[in-house]
Amino acid sequence: MIIALEIGLLYAVMAIGVYLTYRVLDFPDLTVDGSFTTGAATTAVFILAGAPPALAMVAGFLSGVIAGIITGGLHVWGNINPLLAGILTQIALYSINLRIMGKANLPLLRSETMFTPLRENQMLGTWASVAMFAVVAAIIGGLLYWFLGTRYGVAIRATGDNELMAKAQGINTGQGKIVGLAISNGLVALCGSLIAQYQGFADISMGIGLIVAGLASVIVGQAIFGMTAVWQAVFAAAIGSVIYRGIIQLALNAGLNPNDMKLISAVLVVLALTIPSLSPLKRRRQKRIRDKAVAQVGAQ
Amino acid sequence: MLEIQGVTKRFFPGTVNERVALNHLSLDLKEGDFVTIIGSNGAGKSTLLNVISGRYPIDEGAILIGGRDISRMPEHKRARFVARVFQDPMAGTAPRLTLEENLSIAFDRGQRRGLSLAVTNKKREQYREALAKLDLGLENRLSLRVGMLSGGQRQALSLLMAAYQQPDILLLDEHTAALDPSRAELVTRLTGELIQENGLTALMVTHNMHQAIELGNRLVMMHEGNIVLEVDEDAKKTVTAEELLEEFAKTKGAHLSDRTMLD
Repeated sequence: MIIALEIGLLYAVMAIGVYLTYRVLDFPDLTVDGSFTTGAATTAVFILAGAPPALAMVAGFLSGVIAGIITGGLHVWGNINPLLAGILTQIALYSINLRIMGKANLPLLRSETMFTPLRENQMLGTWASVAMFAVVAAIIGGLLYWFLGTRYGVAIRATGDNELMAKAQGINTGQGKIVGLAISNGLVALCGSLIAQYQGFADISMGIGLIVAGLASVIVGQAIFGMTAVWQAVFAAAIGSVIYRGIIQLALNAGLNPNDMKLISAVLVVLALTIPSLSPLKRRRQKRIRDKAVAQVGAQ
Repeated sequence: MLEIQGVTKRFFPGTVNERVALNHLSLDLKEGDFVTIIGSNGAGKSTLLNVISGRYPIDEGAILIGGRDISRMPEHKRARFVARVFQDPMAGTAPRLTLEENLSIAFDRGQRRGLSLAVTNKKREQYREALAKLDLGLENRLSLRVGMLSGGQRQALSLLMAAYQQPDILLLDEHTAALDPSRAELVTRLTGELIQENGLTALMVTHNMHQAIELGNRLVMMHEGNIVLEVDEDAKKTVTAEELLEEFAKTKGAHLSDRTMLD
Protein backbone atom coordinates (compact mmCIF):
# COMPACT_ATOMS: atom_id res chain seq x y z
CA MET A 1 0.00 0.00 0.00
CA ILE A 2 2.99 2.32 0.51
CA ILE A 3 3.69 1.98 -3.19
CA ALA A 4 0.13 3.11 -3.95
CA LEU A 5 0.66 6.09 -1.63
CA GLU A 6 3.88 7.01 -3.43
CA ILE A 7 2.32 6.74 -6.84
CA GLY A 8 -0.78 8.61 -5.68
CA LEU A 9 1.34 11.49 -4.41
CA LEU A 10 3.36 11.63 -7.64
CA TYR A 11 0.17 11.68 -9.70
CA ALA A 12 -1.17 14.42 -7.42
CA VAL A 13 0.94 16.82 -9.49
CA MET A 14 -1.17 15.89 -12.52
CA ALA A 15 -4.42 16.06 -10.54
CA ILE A 16 -3.57 19.63 -9.48
CA GLY A 17 -2.99 20.51 -13.13
CA VAL A 18 -6.29 18.92 -14.17
CA TYR A 19 -8.06 20.84 -11.40
CA LEU A 20 -6.80 24.09 -12.92
CA THR A 21 -8.38 23.43 -16.31
CA TYR A 22 -11.42 21.34 -15.39
CA ARG A 23 -12.60 23.28 -12.36
CA VAL A 24 -10.99 26.72 -12.47
CA LEU A 25 -11.19 27.39 -16.20
CA ASP A 26 -14.20 25.11 -16.78
CA PHE A 27 -12.23 23.71 -19.75
CA PRO A 28 -12.22 19.89 -19.94
CA ASP A 29 -8.74 19.56 -21.41
CA LEU A 30 -7.96 16.28 -23.16
CA THR A 31 -4.42 17.37 -24.07
CA VAL A 32 -3.38 15.60 -20.86
CA ASP A 33 -3.03 12.12 -22.40
CA GLY A 34 -0.49 13.53 -24.85
CA SER A 35 1.31 16.11 -22.75
CA PHE A 36 1.95 13.62 -19.94
CA THR A 37 3.91 11.42 -22.33
CA THR A 38 5.61 14.46 -23.87
CA GLY A 39 6.95 15.39 -20.45
CA ALA A 40 8.14 11.84 -19.85
CA ALA A 41 9.70 11.56 -23.30
CA THR A 42 11.49 14.91 -23.12
CA THR A 43 12.90 14.17 -19.69
CA ALA A 44 14.01 10.68 -20.76
CA VAL A 45 15.83 11.99 -23.81
CA PHE A 46 17.58 14.67 -21.75
CA ILE A 47 18.64 12.15 -19.12
CA LEU A 48 19.90 9.67 -21.70
CA ALA A 49 21.92 12.50 -23.25
CA GLY A 50 23.60 12.94 -19.87
CA ALA A 51 21.78 16.06 -18.66
CA PRO A 52 21.30 16.51 -14.91
CA PRO A 53 17.84 15.24 -13.82
CA ALA A 54 16.75 18.72 -12.62
CA LEU A 55 17.41 20.21 -16.05
CA ALA A 56 15.65 17.25 -17.69
CA MET A 57 12.60 17.94 -15.55
CA VAL A 58 12.55 21.64 -16.39
CA ALA A 59 12.65 20.64 -20.07
CA GLY A 60 9.78 18.21 -19.45
CA PHE A 61 7.74 20.91 -17.76
CA LEU A 62 8.35 23.34 -20.63
CA SER A 63 7.32 20.73 -23.23
CA GLY A 64 3.95 20.54 -21.47
CA VAL A 65 3.69 24.34 -21.38
CA ILE A 66 4.09 24.39 -25.16
CA ALA A 67 1.43 21.68 -25.58
CA GLY A 68 -0.96 23.74 -23.43
CA ILE A 69 -0.30 26.87 -25.46
CA ILE A 70 -1.13 24.94 -28.64
CA THR A 71 -4.45 23.68 -27.27
CA GLY A 72 -5.24 27.15 -25.92
CA GLY A 73 -4.32 28.77 -29.22
CA LEU A 74 -6.51 26.37 -31.18
CA HIS A 75 -9.42 27.25 -28.93
CA VAL A 76 -8.87 31.00 -28.53
CA TRP A 77 -7.49 31.99 -31.93
CA GLY A 78 -9.01 29.19 -33.99
CA ASN A 79 -12.40 29.21 -32.24
CA ILE A 80 -12.24 25.43 -31.91
CA ASN A 81 -14.41 23.75 -29.30
CA PRO A 82 -12.40 23.00 -26.10
CA LEU A 83 -12.86 19.22 -26.26
CA LEU A 84 -11.90 19.08 -29.93
CA ALA A 85 -8.91 21.40 -29.43
CA GLY A 86 -7.62 19.08 -26.71
CA ILE A 87 -8.13 15.92 -28.76
CA LEU A 88 -6.38 17.44 -31.78
CA THR A 89 -3.32 18.34 -29.73
CA GLN A 90 -3.38 14.97 -28.00
CA ILE A 91 -3.39 13.04 -31.29
CA ALA A 92 -0.71 15.26 -32.82
CA LEU A 93 1.44 14.77 -29.72
CA TYR A 94 1.40 11.00 -30.21
CA SER A 95 3.48 11.42 -33.36
CA ILE A 96 5.62 14.11 -31.78
CA ASN A 97 6.29 11.93 -28.74
CA LEU A 98 7.51 9.14 -31.01
CA ARG A 99 9.74 11.65 -32.79
CA ILE A 100 11.15 12.84 -29.48
CA MET A 101 11.85 9.32 -28.21
CA GLY A 102 12.87 7.83 -31.57
CA LYS A 103 11.23 4.55 -30.51
CA ALA A 104 8.26 3.44 -28.45
CA ASN A 105 10.11 2.80 -25.21
CA LEU A 106 13.14 4.39 -23.57
CA PRO A 107 14.59 2.56 -20.53
CA LEU A 108 16.22 4.76 -17.85
CA LEU A 109 17.21 2.02 -15.45
CA ARG A 110 20.96 2.55 -15.73
CA SER A 111 20.76 6.34 -15.82
CA GLU A 112 21.04 8.88 -13.06
CA THR A 113 17.53 10.19 -12.28
CA MET A 114 15.92 12.28 -9.56
CA PHE A 115 15.15 9.04 -7.71
CA THR A 116 18.61 7.44 -7.94
CA PRO A 117 19.74 8.82 -4.54
CA LEU A 118 16.55 7.52 -2.94
CA ARG A 119 16.93 4.12 -4.56
CA GLU A 120 20.59 3.81 -3.56
CA ASN A 121 19.72 4.61 0.05
CA GLN A 122 16.84 2.16 -0.13
CA MET A 123 14.36 4.84 0.79
CA LEU A 124 11.90 4.14 -2.04
CA GLY A 125 8.82 2.33 -0.79
CA THR A 126 9.34 3.61 2.75
CA TRP A 127 7.60 6.31 4.77
CA ALA A 128 10.61 8.56 4.14
CA SER A 129 9.90 8.67 0.41
CA VAL A 130 6.18 9.05 1.06
CA ALA A 131 6.90 12.09 3.24
CA MET A 132 9.22 13.53 0.58
CA PHE A 133 6.67 13.07 -2.19
CA ALA A 134 4.00 14.61 0.03
CA VAL A 135 6.21 17.67 0.51
CA VAL A 136 6.70 17.97 -3.26
CA ALA A 137 2.94 17.73 -3.88
CA ALA A 138 2.31 20.27 -1.10
CA ILE A 139 4.81 22.73 -2.58
CA ILE A 140 3.23 22.49 -6.02
CA GLY A 141 -0.27 22.76 -4.58
CA GLY A 142 0.86 25.73 -2.48
CA LEU A 143 2.33 27.47 -5.52
CA LEU A 144 -0.90 27.04 -7.45
CA TYR A 145 -2.91 28.28 -4.47
CA TRP A 146 -0.70 31.36 -4.28
CA PHE A 147 -1.03 31.97 -8.02
CA LEU A 148 -4.82 31.72 -7.92
CA GLY A 149 -4.85 34.40 -5.23
CA THR A 150 -2.82 36.91 -7.27
CA ARG A 151 -4.47 39.56 -9.40
CA TYR A 152 -3.73 37.53 -12.54
CA GLY A 153 -4.91 34.32 -10.87
CA VAL A 154 -8.20 35.84 -9.71
CA ALA A 155 -8.71 37.11 -13.27
CA ILE A 156 -8.26 33.55 -14.58
CA ARG A 157 -10.76 32.26 -12.01
CA ALA A 158 -13.26 34.95 -13.02
CA THR A 159 -12.78 33.91 -16.67
CA GLY A 160 -13.75 30.32 -15.85
CA ASP A 161 -16.60 31.43 -13.60
CA ASN A 162 -18.29 34.13 -15.69
CA GLU A 163 -16.56 34.96 -18.96
CA LEU A 164 -19.05 37.70 -19.90
CA MET A 165 -18.30 39.53 -16.66
CA ALA A 166 -14.57 38.94 -17.01
CA LYS A 167 -14.51 40.56 -20.45
CA ALA A 168 -16.69 43.44 -19.29
CA GLN A 169 -14.21 44.04 -16.48
CA GLY A 170 -11.34 44.27 -18.95
CA ILE A 171 -9.86 40.81 -18.51
CA ASN A 172 -8.12 39.41 -21.58
CA THR A 173 -9.96 36.10 -21.26
CA GLY A 174 -8.28 34.48 -24.26
CA GLN A 175 -4.82 35.11 -22.85
CA GLY A 176 -5.93 33.91 -19.41
CA LYS A 177 -7.17 30.62 -20.85
CA ILE A 178 -3.93 30.04 -22.73
CA VAL A 179 -1.84 30.78 -19.64
CA GLY A 180 -4.06 28.47 -17.56
CA LEU A 181 -3.75 25.65 -20.09
CA ALA A 182 0.02 26.19 -20.31
CA ILE A 183 0.47 25.91 -16.54
CA SER A 184 -1.88 22.94 -16.32
CA ASN A 185 -0.14 20.99 -19.05
CA GLY A 186 3.24 22.01 -17.66
CA LEU A 187 2.25 20.32 -14.39
CA VAL A 188 0.90 17.29 -16.23
CA ALA A 189 4.16 16.97 -18.19
CA LEU A 190 6.16 17.42 -14.98
CA CYS A 191 4.15 14.54 -13.53
CA GLY A 192 4.97 12.45 -16.62
CA SER A 193 8.62 13.32 -16.11
CA LEU A 194 8.47 12.17 -12.46
CA ILE A 195 6.64 8.94 -13.31
CA ALA A 196 9.12 8.05 -16.09
CA GLN A 197 12.01 8.45 -13.66
CA TYR A 198 10.17 6.62 -10.89
CA GLN A 199 9.29 3.57 -12.99
CA GLY A 200 12.55 3.68 -14.92
CA PHE A 201 11.26 4.12 -18.46
CA ALA A 202 9.27 6.36 -20.77
CA ASP A 203 6.70 4.65 -22.96
CA ILE A 204 4.61 5.94 -25.83
CA SER A 205 1.40 4.55 -24.31
CA MET A 206 1.95 5.70 -20.72
CA GLY A 207 -0.47 8.64 -21.08
CA ILE A 208 -3.42 6.79 -22.55
CA GLY A 209 -6.57 7.32 -20.50
CA LEU A 210 -4.80 9.49 -17.95
CA ILE A 211 -7.30 12.32 -18.27
CA VAL A 212 -9.84 9.97 -16.75
CA ALA A 213 -7.49 9.29 -13.84
CA GLY A 214 -7.00 13.04 -13.43
CA LEU A 215 -10.72 13.72 -13.49
CA ALA A 216 -11.35 10.83 -11.11
CA SER A 217 -8.87 12.36 -8.64
CA VAL A 218 -10.41 15.82 -8.86
CA ILE A 219 -14.02 14.63 -8.69
CA VAL A 220 -13.54 11.98 -6.00
CA GLY A 221 -11.45 14.38 -3.90
CA GLN A 222 -13.99 17.15 -4.14
CA ALA A 223 -16.89 14.82 -3.44
CA ILE A 224 -15.18 13.92 -0.16
CA PHE A 225 -13.46 17.15 0.88
CA GLY A 226 -15.60 19.80 -0.79
CA MET A 227 -14.41 22.63 -2.99
CA THR A 228 -15.73 25.80 -1.43
CA ALA A 229 -12.40 27.50 -0.88
CA VAL A 230 -9.52 27.36 -3.35
CA TRP A 231 -7.05 25.79 -0.89
CA GLN A 232 -9.67 23.17 -0.10
CA ALA A 233 -10.17 22.33 -3.78
CA VAL A 234 -6.42 22.08 -4.48
CA PHE A 235 -5.95 19.87 -1.43
CA ALA A 236 -8.93 17.73 -2.46
CA ALA A 237 -7.46 17.17 -5.93
CA ALA A 238 -4.14 16.02 -4.46
CA ILE A 239 -5.71 13.73 -1.86
CA GLY A 240 -8.18 12.54 -4.50
CA SER A 241 -5.19 11.26 -6.47
CA VAL A 242 -4.00 9.23 -3.50
CA ILE A 243 -7.49 7.82 -2.91
CA TYR A 244 -7.81 6.96 -6.59
CA ARG A 245 -4.53 5.03 -6.59
CA GLY A 246 -5.63 3.33 -3.38
CA ILE A 247 -8.84 2.15 -5.02
CA ILE A 248 -6.90 0.89 -8.05
CA GLN A 249 -4.56 -0.99 -5.72
CA LEU A 250 -7.51 -2.56 -3.90
CA ALA A 251 -9.01 -3.63 -7.22
CA LEU A 252 -5.70 -5.25 -8.22
CA ASN A 253 -5.45 -6.99 -4.86
CA ALA A 254 -8.97 -8.28 -5.36
CA GLY A 255 -7.74 -10.15 -8.41
CA LEU A 256 -8.57 -7.83 -11.30
CA ASN A 257 -5.77 -7.51 -13.83
CA PRO A 258 -4.03 -4.27 -14.92
CA ASN A 259 -5.91 -4.30 -18.22
CA ASP A 260 -9.15 -3.75 -16.30
CA MET A 261 -7.87 -0.49 -14.81
CA LYS A 262 -9.22 1.78 -17.57
CA LEU A 263 -12.68 0.31 -17.05
CA ILE A 264 -12.41 0.79 -13.30
CA SER A 265 -11.25 4.40 -13.79
CA ALA A 266 -14.19 5.17 -16.04
CA VAL A 267 -16.70 3.53 -13.68
CA LEU A 268 -15.20 5.46 -10.77
CA VAL A 269 -15.64 8.79 -12.57
CA VAL A 270 -19.22 7.92 -13.51
CA LEU A 271 -20.02 7.00 -9.91
CA ALA A 272 -18.37 10.13 -8.52
CA LEU A 273 -20.31 12.27 -10.97
CA THR A 274 -23.71 10.62 -10.54
CA ILE A 275 -23.91 9.56 -6.90
CA PRO A 276 -23.88 13.12 -5.49
CA SER A 277 -26.80 14.03 -7.77
CA LEU A 278 -28.98 11.06 -6.76
CA SER A 279 -32.10 12.53 -5.25
CA PRO A 280 -31.82 11.73 -1.51
CA LEU A 281 -28.22 12.92 -1.30
CA LYS A 282 -28.99 15.94 -3.47
CA ARG A 283 -31.88 16.98 -1.29
CA ARG A 284 -29.69 16.73 1.77
CA ARG A 285 -26.91 18.72 0.21
CA GLN A 286 -29.21 21.41 -1.12
CA LYS A 287 -30.75 21.74 2.31
CA ARG A 288 -27.28 22.08 3.82
CA ILE A 289 -26.30 24.76 1.30
CA ARG A 290 -29.60 26.58 1.86
CA ASP A 291 -29.20 26.52 5.63
CA LYS A 292 -25.67 27.80 5.31
CA ALA A 293 -26.73 30.62 2.99
CA VAL A 294 -29.56 31.63 5.29
CA ALA A 295 -27.25 31.58 8.28
CA GLN A 296 -24.59 33.64 6.51
CA VAL A 297 -26.74 36.17 4.72
CA GLY A 298 -29.37 36.46 7.41
CA ALA A 299 -32.65 38.20 6.92
CA GLN A 300 -32.32 41.42 5.03
CA MET B 1 -17.27 62.40 -24.45
CA LEU B 2 -19.02 59.72 -26.51
CA GLU B 3 -19.55 60.26 -30.23
CA ILE B 4 -21.44 57.69 -32.26
CA GLN B 5 -21.08 58.59 -35.91
CA GLY B 6 -23.35 56.95 -38.48
CA VAL B 7 -23.02 53.48 -37.00
CA THR B 8 -24.59 50.56 -38.85
CA LYS B 9 -24.78 47.02 -37.53
CA ARG B 10 -26.21 44.15 -39.56
CA PHE B 11 -26.86 40.67 -38.29
CA PHE B 12 -26.52 37.69 -40.67
CA PRO B 13 -25.41 39.94 -43.56
CA GLY B 14 -25.88 38.49 -47.04
CA THR B 15 -28.43 35.89 -45.95
CA VAL B 16 -32.21 35.84 -46.11
CA ASN B 17 -32.19 36.48 -42.37
CA GLU B 18 -30.26 39.74 -42.72
CA ARG B 19 -31.46 42.26 -40.20
CA VAL B 20 -30.28 45.83 -39.80
CA ALA B 21 -30.10 46.36 -36.06
CA LEU B 22 -28.54 49.83 -36.24
CA ASN B 23 -29.10 52.02 -39.28
CA HIS B 24 -26.64 54.91 -39.61
CA LEU B 25 -27.26 55.91 -36.04
CA SER B 26 -25.59 59.00 -34.63
CA LEU B 27 -25.60 60.21 -31.04
CA ASP B 28 -23.38 62.59 -29.06
CA LEU B 29 -22.97 62.55 -25.31
CA LYS B 30 -21.24 65.38 -23.49
CA GLU B 31 -19.33 64.73 -20.31
CA GLY B 32 -21.79 64.17 -17.47
CA ASP B 33 -24.73 63.45 -19.77
CA PHE B 34 -27.07 60.73 -18.56
CA VAL B 35 -29.24 59.60 -21.46
CA THR B 36 -32.16 57.22 -21.07
CA ILE B 37 -33.23 55.14 -24.08
CA ILE B 38 -36.73 53.81 -24.74
CA GLY B 39 -38.13 52.16 -27.85
CA SER B 40 -39.94 49.33 -29.51
CA ASN B 41 -38.97 45.67 -29.42
CA GLY B 42 -36.02 45.08 -31.70
CA ALA B 43 -35.34 48.80 -32.05
CA GLY B 44 -31.63 48.13 -31.52
CA LYS B 45 -31.34 49.49 -27.98
CA SER B 46 -29.30 46.63 -26.60
CA THR B 47 -27.34 46.35 -29.83
CA LEU B 48 -26.36 49.99 -29.43
CA LEU B 49 -24.89 49.27 -25.98
CA ASN B 50 -23.21 46.12 -27.29
CA VAL B 51 -21.43 47.94 -30.13
CA ILE B 52 -20.23 50.63 -27.72
CA SER B 53 -18.82 48.01 -25.35
CA GLY B 54 -17.21 46.12 -28.22
CA ARG B 55 -19.17 42.91 -27.85
CA TYR B 56 -20.33 43.25 -31.47
CA PRO B 57 -18.14 44.73 -34.21
CA ILE B 58 -19.75 47.48 -36.30
CA ASP B 59 -20.20 47.40 -40.08
CA GLU B 60 -20.08 51.14 -40.80
CA GLY B 61 -19.42 54.38 -38.97
CA ALA B 62 -17.22 55.15 -35.99
CA ILE B 63 -17.39 55.28 -32.22
CA LEU B 64 -15.23 57.83 -30.39
CA ILE B 65 -14.65 58.19 -26.68
CA GLY B 66 -12.95 61.39 -25.57
CA GLY B 67 -12.04 62.03 -29.22
CA ARG B 68 -10.33 58.66 -29.59
CA ASP B 69 -11.61 56.22 -32.19
CA ILE B 70 -12.30 52.91 -30.45
CA SER B 71 -14.30 51.28 -33.26
CA ARG B 72 -11.75 48.50 -33.74
CA MET B 73 -10.59 48.10 -30.16
CA PRO B 74 -11.24 44.64 -28.63
CA GLU B 75 -13.82 44.35 -25.88
CA HIS B 76 -11.44 43.80 -22.97
CA LYS B 77 -9.39 46.87 -23.87
CA ARG B 78 -12.47 49.05 -24.15
CA ALA B 79 -13.31 48.10 -20.59
CA ARG B 80 -10.79 50.76 -19.56
CA PHE B 81 -13.29 53.38 -20.78
CA VAL B 82 -16.62 51.56 -20.81
CA ALA B 83 -18.36 49.74 -17.95
CA ARG B 84 -21.63 47.84 -18.14
CA VAL B 85 -24.44 46.48 -16.04
CA PHE B 86 -26.50 43.75 -17.68
CA GLN B 87 -30.19 42.92 -17.40
CA ASP B 88 -29.44 39.52 -15.88
CA PRO B 89 -28.54 40.16 -12.23
CA MET B 90 -26.25 37.10 -12.33
CA ALA B 91 -24.23 38.35 -15.31
CA GLY B 92 -22.17 41.10 -13.69
CA THR B 93 -20.49 39.12 -10.92
CA ALA B 94 -18.57 35.85 -10.58
CA PRO B 95 -20.58 33.50 -8.31
CA ARG B 96 -17.75 31.23 -7.13
CA LEU B 97 -15.53 34.15 -6.19
CA THR B 98 -15.92 35.93 -2.88
CA LEU B 99 -17.21 39.48 -2.54
CA GLU B 100 -13.69 40.80 -1.99
CA GLU B 101 -12.34 38.88 -4.99
CA ASN B 102 -15.11 40.24 -7.19
CA LEU B 103 -14.30 43.74 -6.04
CA SER B 104 -10.61 43.17 -6.74
CA ILE B 105 -11.55 42.36 -10.34
CA ALA B 106 -13.39 45.69 -10.57
CA PHE B 107 -10.54 47.47 -8.77
CA ASP B 108 -8.09 46.27 -11.44
CA ARG B 109 -10.24 47.22 -14.42
CA GLY B 110 -8.11 48.97 -17.00
CA GLN B 111 -4.88 48.04 -15.24
CA ARG B 112 -2.29 45.33 -15.71
CA ARG B 113 -3.12 42.35 -13.57
CA GLY B 114 0.18 41.20 -12.14
CA LEU B 115 1.36 38.67 -9.59
CA SER B 116 0.71 40.71 -6.47
CA LEU B 117 -2.06 39.42 -4.23
CA ALA B 118 -5.57 40.42 -5.26
CA VAL B 119 -6.81 40.85 -1.72
CA THR B 120 -4.61 42.47 0.91
CA ASN B 121 -5.61 43.99 4.25
CA LYS B 122 -5.24 47.47 2.86
CA LYS B 123 -7.41 46.74 -0.17
CA ARG B 124 -9.90 44.91 2.02
CA GLU B 125 -10.54 48.17 3.87
CA GLN B 126 -11.19 49.96 0.58
CA TYR B 127 -13.60 47.23 -0.51
CA ARG B 128 -15.36 47.41 2.85
CA GLU B 129 -15.77 51.16 2.48
CA ALA B 130 -17.15 50.85 -1.04
CA LEU B 131 -19.62 48.15 0.00
CA ALA B 132 -20.81 50.18 2.98
CA LYS B 133 -22.17 52.76 0.53
CA LEU B 134 -24.67 50.20 -0.74
CA ASP B 135 -26.23 50.06 2.70
CA LEU B 136 -26.98 46.35 2.33
CA GLY B 137 -24.77 45.15 5.15
CA LEU B 138 -22.45 43.43 2.67
CA GLU B 139 -19.38 45.15 4.10
CA ASN B 140 -19.28 42.54 6.88
CA ARG B 141 -19.38 39.56 4.53
CA LEU B 142 -16.31 40.14 2.40
CA SER B 143 -15.35 36.47 2.30
CA LEU B 144 -18.83 35.28 1.31
CA ARG B 145 -19.13 33.78 -2.16
CA VAL B 146 -21.23 36.02 -4.39
CA GLY B 147 -23.38 33.08 -5.54
CA MET B 148 -24.94 33.14 -2.08
CA LEU B 149 -26.38 36.63 -2.58
CA SER B 150 -29.87 37.43 -3.85
CA GLY B 151 -30.49 38.83 -7.33
CA GLY B 152 -31.04 42.33 -5.98
CA GLN B 153 -27.86 42.22 -3.93
CA ARG B 154 -25.89 40.92 -6.89
CA GLN B 155 -27.23 43.63 -9.16
CA ALA B 156 -26.37 46.32 -6.62
CA LEU B 157 -22.89 44.81 -6.44
CA SER B 158 -22.64 44.73 -10.26
CA LEU B 159 -23.50 48.40 -10.34
CA LEU B 160 -20.92 49.22 -7.71
CA MET B 161 -18.29 47.19 -9.58
CA ALA B 162 -19.10 48.86 -12.90
CA ALA B 163 -18.80 52.35 -11.40
CA TYR B 164 -15.84 51.52 -9.14
CA GLN B 165 -13.02 52.77 -11.35
CA GLN B 166 -15.02 55.70 -12.71
CA PRO B 167 -15.49 54.65 -16.33
CA ASP B 168 -15.77 57.32 -19.02
CA ILE B 169 -19.06 55.73 -20.10
CA LEU B 170 -21.43 53.64 -18.02
CA LEU B 171 -23.86 51.42 -19.97
CA LEU B 172 -26.99 50.16 -18.23
CA ASP B 173 -29.03 47.59 -20.14
CA GLU B 174 -32.44 47.32 -18.46
CA HIS B 175 -30.56 46.52 -15.33
CA THR B 176 -33.61 46.72 -13.07
CA ALA B 177 -36.01 44.80 -15.33
CA ALA B 178 -35.40 41.38 -13.80
CA LEU B 179 -35.75 42.50 -10.17
CA ASP B 180 -38.83 42.59 -7.99
CA PRO B 181 -40.30 46.09 -7.53
CA SER B 182 -38.69 46.94 -4.18
CA ARG B 183 -35.25 45.74 -5.31
CA ALA B 184 -35.67 47.52 -8.63
CA GLU B 185 -36.39 50.72 -6.76
CA LEU B 186 -33.29 50.26 -4.61
CA VAL B 187 -31.05 49.65 -7.63
CA THR B 188 -32.63 52.62 -9.45
CA ARG B 189 -31.90 54.86 -6.49
CA LEU B 190 -28.30 53.58 -6.26
CA THR B 191 -27.88 54.18 -9.99
CA GLY B 192 -28.93 57.81 -9.68
CA GLU B 193 -26.68 58.35 -6.67
CA LEU B 194 -23.60 56.71 -8.16
CA ILE B 195 -23.89 58.58 -11.43
CA GLN B 196 -24.45 61.91 -9.74
CA GLU B 197 -21.73 61.52 -7.09
CA ASN B 198 -19.12 60.49 -9.62
CA GLY B 199 -20.33 62.74 -12.43
CA LEU B 200 -20.46 59.74 -14.78
CA THR B 201 -21.54 59.84 -18.40
CA ALA B 202 -24.18 57.17 -18.83
CA LEU B 203 -26.55 55.49 -21.27
CA MET B 204 -29.48 53.58 -19.83
CA VAL B 205 -31.91 51.36 -21.72
CA THR B 206 -35.21 50.93 -19.91
CA HIS B 207 -38.74 49.68 -20.44
CA ASN B 208 -40.04 51.73 -17.59
CA MET B 209 -41.36 55.10 -18.87
CA HIS B 210 -41.42 56.53 -15.40
CA GLN B 211 -37.77 55.57 -14.87
CA ALA B 212 -36.82 56.97 -18.28
CA ILE B 213 -38.36 60.33 -17.39
CA GLU B 214 -37.21 60.47 -13.76
CA LEU B 215 -33.57 59.56 -14.34
CA GLY B 216 -31.03 61.33 -16.48
CA ASN B 217 -30.91 64.68 -18.23
CA ARG B 218 -31.69 63.54 -21.80
CA LEU B 219 -34.00 60.97 -23.35
CA VAL B 220 -33.98 59.33 -26.77
CA MET B 221 -36.54 57.10 -28.40
CA MET B 222 -35.37 54.42 -30.83
CA HIS B 223 -37.19 52.64 -33.62
CA GLU B 224 -35.87 50.25 -36.29
CA GLY B 225 -32.23 50.93 -35.62
CA ASN B 226 -32.40 54.66 -35.42
CA ILE B 227 -33.27 57.52 -33.12
CA VAL B 228 -36.76 58.86 -33.86
CA LEU B 229 -37.11 61.34 -31.01
CA GLU B 230 -34.67 63.26 -28.83
CA VAL B 231 -35.80 65.06 -25.71
CA ASP B 232 -33.23 67.61 -24.58
CA GLU B 233 -32.41 68.74 -21.09
CA ASP B 234 -35.06 71.51 -20.80
CA ALA B 235 -37.85 69.57 -22.46
CA LYS B 236 -37.15 66.49 -20.35
CA LYS B 237 -37.96 68.34 -17.13
CA THR B 238 -41.60 68.74 -18.14
CA VAL B 239 -42.23 65.82 -20.49
CA THR B 240 -44.90 63.28 -19.52
CA ALA B 241 -45.39 59.65 -20.40
CA GLU B 242 -48.53 60.54 -22.38
CA GLU B 243 -46.65 63.03 -24.54
CA LEU B 244 -43.96 60.46 -25.27
CA LEU B 245 -46.56 57.90 -26.27
CA GLU B 246 -48.22 60.43 -28.54
CA GLU B 247 -44.88 61.23 -30.19
CA PHE B 248 -44.26 57.58 -30.62
CA ALA B 249 -47.61 56.96 -32.27
CA LYS B 250 -46.65 59.50 -34.94
CA THR B 251 -43.74 57.30 -35.99
CA LYS B 252 -45.10 55.10 -38.73
CA GLY B 253 -45.55 51.51 -37.69
CA ALA B 254 -44.03 52.00 -34.29
CA HIS B 255 -45.32 50.36 -31.16
CA LEU B 256 -43.69 50.75 -27.85
CA SER B 257 -42.38 47.49 -26.52
CA ASP B 258 -45.23 45.43 -25.09
CA ARG B 259 -43.29 45.21 -21.87
CA THR B 260 -43.36 48.97 -21.38
CA MET B 261 -44.62 50.03 -18.02
CA LEU B 262 -46.42 53.32 -17.75
CA ASP B 263 -46.63 53.77 -14.02
